[in-house]
Amino acid sequence: MTLAWPRVAGPRVDARDKATGATRYSADVEPEGALHAAVVRSTVPHAEVLAVDASAALAIRGVTAVVTAQDLERRFGDELCGRRVRDMPLLARDKVRFSGEGIAVVLATTRQVAEDAAALVVVEYRELTPVLDALAALGPGSPRVHEAPWRYDGAVVDQSHPPNLQSELVEGDPVAVDEVLGRAAHVVTRTYRTPSGHQGYLEPQCWTASPRPGGRVALLGTVKAPYRLREQTAKTLGLALEAVEIDPVPLGGDFGGKGGVVDPTLCAALALWANRPVRLALRAGEDMSATDARHPSVVEVSVGCDADGALLALRVDAVFDGGAYAAVKPIPSANLHGMAECALGYRLEAFSVRSAIAYTTTLPKGHMRAPGAPQAAFAIESALDELASAAGVSPVELRRRSVLSGGDRDAYGHVWDEARGAETLDAALEAADAAPRPEDRERPGRRRPVPSGWRRGRGVALYARPTAPPATTSLRLAPGDDGRLVVELPFPETGTGSHSVVRDELAAALGVDPENVEVRQVSTGLLPYDPGVGASRVTVGLTAAVHQLASRWWESGGTEAVTVETGSGTDRPALSYCAQVADVAVDPETGQVLVSSVVTAADVASVLRPRSHRMQIDGGTVMGYGFACLEDLLERDGQVWAPNLAELRLPTAADVPSLRTVLVEGGRGVGPANVKAVGELTNVPTAAAIANAVAEATGRRVRQLPLTAERVFWALHGETGGETGDEARDEARGEARNVARGVARGEEGPA
Amino acid sequence: MTESSGDAAFLVPGTVEAAVEALGAAGAVALAGGTSIGLMVGQGLLAPSVLVWLGRIPELSVLEEEDGGMSIGATTTLAALAAHPRVRATVPALADAAASVGNTRVRAVATIGGAVGHADPRQDLPPALLALDARVEVAGRRGRRRLAIDELIDGFMSTVLDPDEVITAVRVPLVVGRRSCYLRYTPGSADDYPTVAAAATADVADGVPTAVRLAIGGAGPAAYLVPEAEELRGVPEGRWASATAEVAESAARRADPVDDRLGSAAYKRRMVAVWARRVLERCLGAEGALP
Amino acid sequence: MKMHARVNGSPFVAEVPATSSLLEVLRGAGLTGTKEGCRIGVCGVCTVLVDNRPVSSCLYLAGCADGADIWTVEGMAEHAPSVVDAFVECEGMQCGICTPGQIVAVASMGPDVRDERDVRHYLSGNLCRCTGYGTIVEAALDAQARRRDEVAPA
Ligand SMILES: Cc1cc2nc3c(=O)[nH]c(=O)nc-3n(C[C@H](O)[C@H](O)[C@H](O)COP(=O)(O)OP(=O)(O)OC[C@H]3O[C@@H](n4cnc5c(N)ncnc54)[C@H](O)[C@@H]3O)c2cc1C
Ligand code: FES
Ligand code: FES
Repeated sequence: MTLAWPRVAGPRVDARDKATGATRYSADVEPEGALHAAVVRSTVPHAEVLAVDASAALAIRGVTAVVTAQDLERRFGDELCGRRVRDMPLLARDKVRFSGEGIAVVLATTRQVAEDAAALVVVEYRELTPVLDALAALGPGSPRVHEAPWRYDGAVVDQSHPPNLQSELVEGDPVAVDEVLGRAAHVVTRTYRTPSGHQGYLEPQCWTASPRPGGRVALLGTVKAPYRLREQTAKTLGLALEAVEIDPVPLGGDFGGKGGVVDPTLCAALALWANRPVRLALRAGEDMSATDARHPSVVEVSVGCDADGALLALRVDAVFDGGAYAAVKPIPSANLHGMAECALGYRLEAFSVRSAIAYTTTLPKGHMRAPGAPQAAFAIESALDELASAAGVSPVELRRRSVLSGGDRDAYGHVWDEARGAETLDAALEAADAAPRPEDRERPGRRRPVPSGWRRGRGVALYARPTAPPATTSLRLAPGDDGRLVVELPFPETGTGSHSVVRDELAAALGVDPENVEVRQVSTGLLPYDPGVGASRVTVGLTAAVHQLASRWWESGGTEAVTVETGSGTDRPALSYCAQVADVAVDPETGQVLVSSVVTAADVASVLRPRSHRMQIDGGTVMGYGFACLEDLLERDGQVWAPNLAELRLPTAADVPSLRTVLVEGGRGVGPANVKAVGELTNVPTAAAIANAVAEATGRRVRQLPLTAERVFWALHGETGGETGDEARDEARGEARNVARGVARGEEGPA
Repeated sequence: MTESSGDAAFLVPGTVEAAVEALGAAGAVALAGGTSIGLMVGQGLLAPSVLVWLGRIPELSVLEEEDGGMSIGATTTLAALAAHPRVRATVPALADAAASVGNTRVRAVATIGGAVGHADPRQDLPPALLALDARVEVAGRRGRRRLAIDELIDGFMSTVLDPDEVITAVRVPLVVGRRSCYLRYTPGSADDYPTVAAAATADVADGVPTAVRLAIGGAGPAAYLVPEAEELRGVPEGRWASATAEVAESAARRADPVDDRLGSAAYKRRMVAVWARRVLERCLGAEGALP
Repeated sequence: MKMHARVNGSPFVAEVPATSSLLEVLRGAGLTGTKEGCRIGVCGVCTVLVDNRPVSSCLYLAGCADGADIWTVEGMAEHAPSVVDAFVECEGMQCGICTPGQIVAVASMGPDVRDERDVRHYLSGNLCRCTGYGTIVEAALDAQARRRDEVAPA
């Protein structure tokens, strides 16, 4: 491992406090005299709200108010809320668009009373036809989820689009793809599906807002992008930016979630409305069924190669279910960047990506670890195996022939000076073949050996991700009271160890003992700006800022506080590959899939804190395993059928495969610390690697996640000749392409 | 003004008689390890007016062997049951079933009384105890009685117990040489409830079964016995494969599963046949049986 | 009801409804190290020791805790210092929300929990979404080894 300079990897800054229960998270903060808020939520997916009868709730001792959209509107106006597309009200006005949408809020002196009273609020609905299927939603004749979505502030659609289009993303050249595929020796076209899922953080969301003199408000809670939330809250409530302050607190995990702006803004509004501190704490089940989830997908892939198995062209047409509101999605396209970048890993003569996100009357969909990428990779990397089999080459060979090397131009036209696709793939395969001990090939929690009648299979999948140059952030360094140095940061520790990285890097740059550096998140009033945690930008941005901070500190003599605000960097981006090899055993009689091991090769540059780095890799792979085999929020009929952790099964310590990692070291990273992002890498290819292994083991291809025993069983034993039961029922084959294509042309899709 | 949730009286009787007395009150509910009651109360699914905690009644925590059987006090925890050397040696099906319930924290406090009194069809102990031909000992105002598992549990989350009746012990017959096996099928996570479960006992003399019992869980409103397993009596080893497969088909025919996250009804029915056969093969000691 | 117990070695008295959960009681008394997650016994972030048994405090009724000896994460530095040290040194955490429960669960392990497989089964009900479990399992094995050494110094 090459280190730019010597580093001391002492314990994490937060380790002892976390290990003794001293760390205070959002839910551990309860201001004196706070009112507790409980949200009355819609029980139906689509309806007009005719009346809200709060009389029974108001008769409960301890209830101080029941607040509706009208109450808030009278005070704050009728601005809608959203990170990019401002399409969501703080509480439903006249109409609910998903089951779980907030309709009213009970304020009470205790949480229990608030919750009990909320259950007594009676809502009268006139039900409307729900819009439950993303493909149908984009076709003609579908009921509208929103009357005129193009009118919303920040809208990314116009009147020529189908009325239920949330956003679209178009990359590449579909005409060129048709032409190239027309002369390819082998082409496969297949459709893949993935379900809705929750980020799975174990800390439910919770916010506390306190009114401050002069109509200001301070907010503390599960917020991963404080400065962005401040803008949104101020805008929605008609306040000056300075009137909103977001206070610091660590996060119990986010994995792409906890970026929503509606609920925390609601909490701030309630505090101002009641002129008292208000605490809005969600129960875990409420968090899972009423905030935001991963986008379910239907992805059609066409991919072709020449007679030697060299890839020629790739077409990806995806339709995502965006749920009732686009409000949670932060990027300018209000689409998913994992889709935009999904053709990055291979040399291609032509490619086309079209991603349409539909409004439906289901749970709003937001971000989850590498948004869009796991869905795209499952489809593309499965299709590559299907193509390999059609072309008669091995899946590994097919990939090795077309991955990028240094100097190659990717499908988007960018030339990478470093691209280590083949090295990464080979490193994974070599490690998979050379398990140090036989038991490393088996799931470490398994009690019994795998019976001999089970079929074994191995699958491979790849993912390539760019590390962007550093984004804007700001830091402040000041002498502390006790002779230590205090570095102030603008964003929370979400668990990745970013605060420890700052301490270590700053200590190294200043040549001081890390023990003498204290790291503190501070409230939004105290630093200029930060875009928040997300998109794997933290380590890169931070290390760049730390370097500036250290030089500024020396320049100014090292006695006075200094603040730096970095602009976005101009470094060239770096490319990381991740290759995974999954070994599975399948019980042919039941369809049970046992994932024995997943070997990951990650293409890295410098590794700052090896254990934190490893946990990003392991934690990502385990999340990928959950996506592959277990997790499904089971959204059916506009309801979430798995709104708790007993139903939405996350992988346990006993279930997970044996995980082995090889780091392909010596890469060229980004920024002064020479790093490549790792947080949204290893969760992406896992599902395809496992699906490919199951296909090898069984000779049957399951194109829908999760790969439950039952799906594999029907693939093996159903009458449908190798298609899954779901697929056999799937009348929508080819439709994703038609819909996505139609959307891209500004037409309504077919019926 | 009305109050929101009212509080329950919490009684801690020291004897079975006192518990029976306490349970006579309207709205009284017996509480043992509380893993189910605590969950239901916390989720607002149950609002008892009186909770009668059985955790301080010495008689209920006794586990002893008496002639021809093992008497397991109702408040014996599943962890204790799973770790008990005699239970493991004599009735491994019960030890295995207890060891596979939920997670460490559930097993640390959940009791055998609750494991049969809760009557959730996905639970692990009922099929194991049914195959073991266990009897549930019950005390109430009208005296003491003994019930088989399938007499006690009369439907989905339902028992025949009177409100004042307390399960005092579960009595498991001990027969020298009797083999017992419990297999639960959890293809997702081992911490899940089983998709289906199968338990069997067999007495085998000179390579020929003299008594066989098979019970299935997770595939109907309650665990059920498969009487056709009796037909394995006297069947020589050479015909076990076809005979167990037939019994397994009968087990599947008797299944009445529901669609849920753990599997569709059609899938569960197919799985009953697979796991019934596997548990029988294993219990009989058939060559090549699942380890 | 008036609940009398010992919490982290000190007398503890609280006036609470008998049907409130031990989790609510502890957090209500300012012991917020114990976390609320799923509230249905599945995730383990609320794990505490009651008379030396690991329980889901979200399910455990206050009435049953009356008279009990209770230990929470706040008491672990005293009750099981080697477990706390092992988690700090092995970096058995990321966001830390599962950490209190993991540490209390490991503190409740008997000497029969020896190898990786035992540890993984014992901890299967203590979910972690961050780490992938590798460093947690290492911390648990390390803690078990330290405690073996403490009992029987080489
Ligand atoms: C996270 C979790 C996972 C679980 N997973 C499983 C699993 O995999 N397999 C499984 O089988 N179960 C599982 N369970 C359920 C568990 O088995 C039961 O909750 C437990 O066995 C009940 O025992 P208890 O002592 O806690 O009962 P309690 O909750 O105290 O009582 C349960 C019911 O039984 C009655 N009862 C209890 N004792 C007596 C008695 N002596 N006399 C009369 N009535 C009595 C009570 O009135 C109540 O109706 C799980 C539970 C949880 C919370
Ligand atoms: S909160 Fe108690 S187990 Fe999840
Ligand atoms: S450290 Fe975050 S859940 Fe375990």
